[in-house]
Amino acid sequence: MKSNTKGRLFAFTGTTVAIVSFAFLAIEPAQARKPFTQDELAAQYKDLMATVKEGDDLWHSAKLGKNGLACANCHPDAAASNPHTFPKWQANLGQVIPLRDMINWCIQVPLEGQALDANSKEMKALEAYAFYMHRGFKLKPGENTKQHPPVEVRSGAGYP
Amino acid sequence: MTDFSKMNRREFLGITGKAGLATLVASAAGVSFGMVQVAEAAGNSRLTPFRFAILTDAHLYDIPDHKFDGILKKAVDDVNNMNPLPDFVVYLGDIGQSGKRTELEKGKRILSKLKVPLKVIPGEHDWYLDMGQAWRDLFGGPTWSFDHKGVHFIGMNSILVRDFWTMKGLTPDERMGFMEELECHHCGLWGVREEQLEWLKKDVKKLKPDTPVVVFTHSPLWDYYPRWNFQTEDAPQIREILSGFERVMAFHGHVHQVVYNRIGNLSSVGTLSTSWPWPYPGVELPFPDIKMNRVDPGDILDGLGTQYIDLEKEFAGALHYDTWADLLPEGVKKGVKL
Repeated sequence: MKSNTKGRLFAFTGTTVAIVSFAFLAIEPAQARKPFTQDELAAQYKDLMATVKEGDDLWHSAKLGKNGLACANCHPDAAASNPHTFPKWQANLGQVIPLRDMINWCIQVPLEGQALDANSKEMKALEAYAFYMHRGFKLKPGENTKQHPPVEVRSGAGYP
Repeated sequence: MTDFSKMNRREFLGITGKAGLATLVASAAGVSFGMVQVAEAAGNSRLTPFRFAILTDAHLYDIPDHKFDGILKKAVDDVNNMNPLPDFVVYLGDIGQSGKRTELEKGKRILSKLKVPLKVIPGEHDWYLDMGQAWRDLFGGPTWSFDHKGVHFIGMNSILVRDFWTMKGLTPDERMGFMEELECHHCGLWGVREEQLEWLKKDVKKLKPDTPVVVFTHSPLWDYYPRWNFQTEDAPQIREILSGFERVMAFHGHVHQVVYNRIGNLSSVGTLSTSWPWPYPGVELPFPDIKMNRVDPGDILDGLGTQYIDLEKEFAGALHYDTWADLLPEGVKKGVKL
């Protein structure tokens, strides 16, 4: 029975790995994935910041639209984009939406441009910038009564 | 549009008279413009009540039939339909978005439909492509004063930054591109700088302390949120120069929002744009009741508007925001006391 259990456990994947590993420990010493090394963490962070920077550039670019406007015209430093309040019921769309749908609404209506593919590199970057400018904020999904300023920025781009 | 900067007193009174303002012709107000002229104050704190209006921050693009063109036209129509008509309009900067002559020319064409005289100061969006050349050609000097019905009006250019482009080797387009971002982190703080401070000292030197003084700048004359240049670096010196007056009213553009402050003898009021509203930055407002409601992104006209100021005897009065959507809390709807 013990060997059967062991065999089945190995077949598990994804999010169950941690739970499975915990159970496995009772049987014989084993290790979950090793903690990320400092080098790995640095590389991941570099990737994230590159995505945030790409989002910052797009946020301030007129190329998403056709009338010269950019996201930053109304949302400097991503202010009032309220990413931590999504998903929520959005009055101008009449339904509950994630942030990316609101970003696409802004691109299509105020900017008069073409909606981005929700899974595109550009959309990921725009979301990364908006969220990173609200790091540390409490999640408030559904809140649609307040307009939030972003993290306070003293100098620079607002991120490392 | 009347080129206010090239008019003498007689012409000014004549044109204003055409707008149906007989009271102005009968008044003892003098008018003088330009940096070289030191305006003579009426020196009488009892003024003849009158109205003036403010338009600002149209941010016109060099694109035909852009939606902001229509909003500025609508604002001009609104002012022309005010009852009573304002004696004049002051435009507080950012006619264009990218400083192009074509944008400024379009703005001048639209503003020329105003039935009353116009005075203009520049914003950073008007200026940094050619360092104000086209703006000066179209609107005259950026620093001026005049007297009207006992009130001394002053306009200054508050968007002057230290040279950040030469060392970086930026082209005029690149320089303008940097300045177009509200959160530009290469551009530094704005100010009126030494020459205009000296001009201001001279301009107000002969005025009596009880003279009503009104100051217009693009940026606020207090430290609101420097990150977005919601400030004027040498505002403390400006306030010091004007500290001898019983009361000074200051009005600014740039913030695209309802905001108010009072420092010493100076009240400072922000104005609504005709392009887009700016959100409030993450700092406490000195007068938190004087703000606008959250804007509906689905309504192109929400968060925008014009404003008029009714001045009463003894230099009191209120600024009224004139909006196209349900933007104002009840308290602000009644007008902001100056």
